[in-house]
Amino acid sequence: QLDRGCALHTAARAGLSSVSSQDVPAQKPRVVFHTSESDPAKHTEQHEGRLYNIPLEEVKAVFPHGLPHRFQQQIRTFNEARVMVRQPALELLAYLKGSNLAHPAVRYVIYGERGTGKTMTLCHVVHYCSRQGWLVLHIPDAHLWVKNCKELLQSSYKKDRLDQPLQASVWLKNFKSSNERFLQEIKTQKKYMWGKQESTEEGRPLGEVVEQGLARVRSATDAVGVVLREIKQQSHRGSFRLLVAVDGVNALWGRTTLRKEDKSPVSPEELTLVHNLRKMLRNDWSGGAIVTTLSQTGSLFKPSSAYTPQELLGKEGFDALDPFVPIPVPNYSPREFESCYGYYLERKWLQHEKAHTEDGKAELQFLSGSNPRQLDRLAGPL
Amino acid sequence: MAAPSTAGLGRRLRAWLPRIMPVRWSRYNPSYLEPEVKTESYQKPLEELTEEEREQMELKAVRPIKAAPPSLSSSVFSDPMVSKFTNMMMKSGNKVLARSLMSQTLEAIKRKQLEKYHKAPENEKETIECNPYVIFHQALKNCQPIIGLSNITRGGKTYQVPVPLTDNRKRFLAMKWLITECRENKHRRTMMPEKLSQELLLAFNNEGPVIKKKHVLHKMAEANRAYAHFRWW
Repeated sequence: QLDRGCALHTAARAGLSSVSSQDVPAQKPRVVFHTSESDPAKHTEQHEGRLYNIPLEEVKAVFPHGLPHRFQQQIRTFNEARVMVRQPALELLAYLKGSNLAHPAVRYVIYGERGTGKTMTLCHVVHYCSRQGWLVLHIPDAHLWVKNCKELLQSSYKKDRLDQPLQASVWLKNFKSSNERFLQEIKTQKKYMWGKQESTEEGRPLGEVVEQGLARVRSATDAVGVVLREIKQQSHRGSFRLLVAVDGVNALWGRTTLRKEDKSPVSPEELTLVHNLRKMLRNDWSGGAIVTTLSQTGSLFKPSSAYTPQELLGKEGFDALDPFVPIPVPNYSPREFESCYGYYLERKWLQHEKAHTEDGKAELQFLSGSNPRQLDRLAGPL
Repeated sequence: MAAPSTAGLGRRLRAWLPRIMPVRWSRYNPSYLEPEVKTESYQKPLEELTEEEREQMELKAVRPIKAAPPSLSSSVFSDPMVSKFTNMMMKSGNKVLARSLMSQTLEAIKRKQLEKYHKAPENEKETIECNPYVIFHQALKNCQPIIGLSNITRGGKTYQVPVPLTDNRKRFLAMKWLITECRENKHRRTMMPEKLSQELLLAFNNEGPVIKKKHVLHKMAEANRAYAHFRWW
């Protein structure tokens, strides 16, 4: 889960601006694994394996939702947010930098085995895009929209669809806190009626639609639909660039565990949120990019060994997302493992006296199989 | 599991492999040797071994070895006290759950101490102990009673007689008190790692209900000093 970047801090690498201000004692020959380059736009292969710092205010602004739970705990314990620069993220950033925004949006699917760092790669890309001033539409986990929904309302807009007011309002709140200025700039292009009395006129800022959705929870789902529609229609004009970042995109084309009142199962297209998001993921708009992640961990009715796009998306999902650019995320390379291990030692996370020895390090590498999540779980009690 | 045959009495102590392999808790033939898990003993080159070690190695080549129990580990991070505590926390043989609770407890202790460490001013940083294993061992040591009470019946009446405790008994009592305290006297909805980490930190600082219980036991033993001569062992 934790992306760790490692950088050899030697005096010979004068070209790199990697100076760590940590209190590394001079007599220890340990290498330091940080980089002071906190702008993802400037990350290159030289920074591969290093950890870069995201200031805590920026974390709160850019990631109101979307960071993995264990990473959030780690931020609280260490008092800093360090993300590793890894090769899949660098590849994605290179594609985004070189993409032509006049062309239809390209879809990228980040896939890999469990715990290899797909969500963290997505967060790295989201951080880059928000630094560049893109409008980021970040859905932290699409699986939350297809399971454990306490309230399902029949949609007032279309008779056979179902609304999810709670999930929609939570997402609207987080969307509002991360994209304040865009909500004032983008104007609606037609009049929307919320029930019999309330309406939003043409030309009003999108912030009003969001306020409407937050104030009246019953119409939150429709507010989400309106927001997505407006943003998609206006993205080709070029006044802003749009990034659609969806984590766990295989939820949109799988099955749900929700049931209607007559106990018949709900399929994903009957949910308004899922329907609107699927429209967003089609590549019929230009002026941005779509970056998605597959996830087996929260998925429903999928075997735990499934990780490839074909297995997790199924035929329907694969056809809907086809053509896409697949980006595999592997386990840690030896260099990245060194870096992560060094970071833990430096922040005093590995307290066991044997963890500082070579034997302990070899044992950690063997037991975790260089898998980031396993390493994190193993290093917890040590 | 069939018992090894008694035919061939003369060759009883010689190594032989029965058709059905014995399981750990059945009676092993005395010729079976204990397994050696420490990796250091296998990494020594031949020249450095002493005479007894060479003989031991030759003996191992001809004698069968007992099956290693699942709790025996060659990991550098294994700790017998932690394993014992995990076993005592286990219910209905669910070792997976007990072990995960133990690791979450150690992680919770480490997080709490690290947060305190990072917030403390420079001169106090050395006093804050962040190693969860050190805290665990010290907390258990602080909870161990020095003297115990045992029921002895004389003339129809049962007296509580102060009695010395063996090391094993002291360790057992300390662990038992900690676990019972967490299970019974806390709010129903708190998770075990949270409760246990709190108790261990209190015991590390010589505070908390378990230390109080130990003191109560000591006071009772002091009060019943008069009956100490009832003990005959």
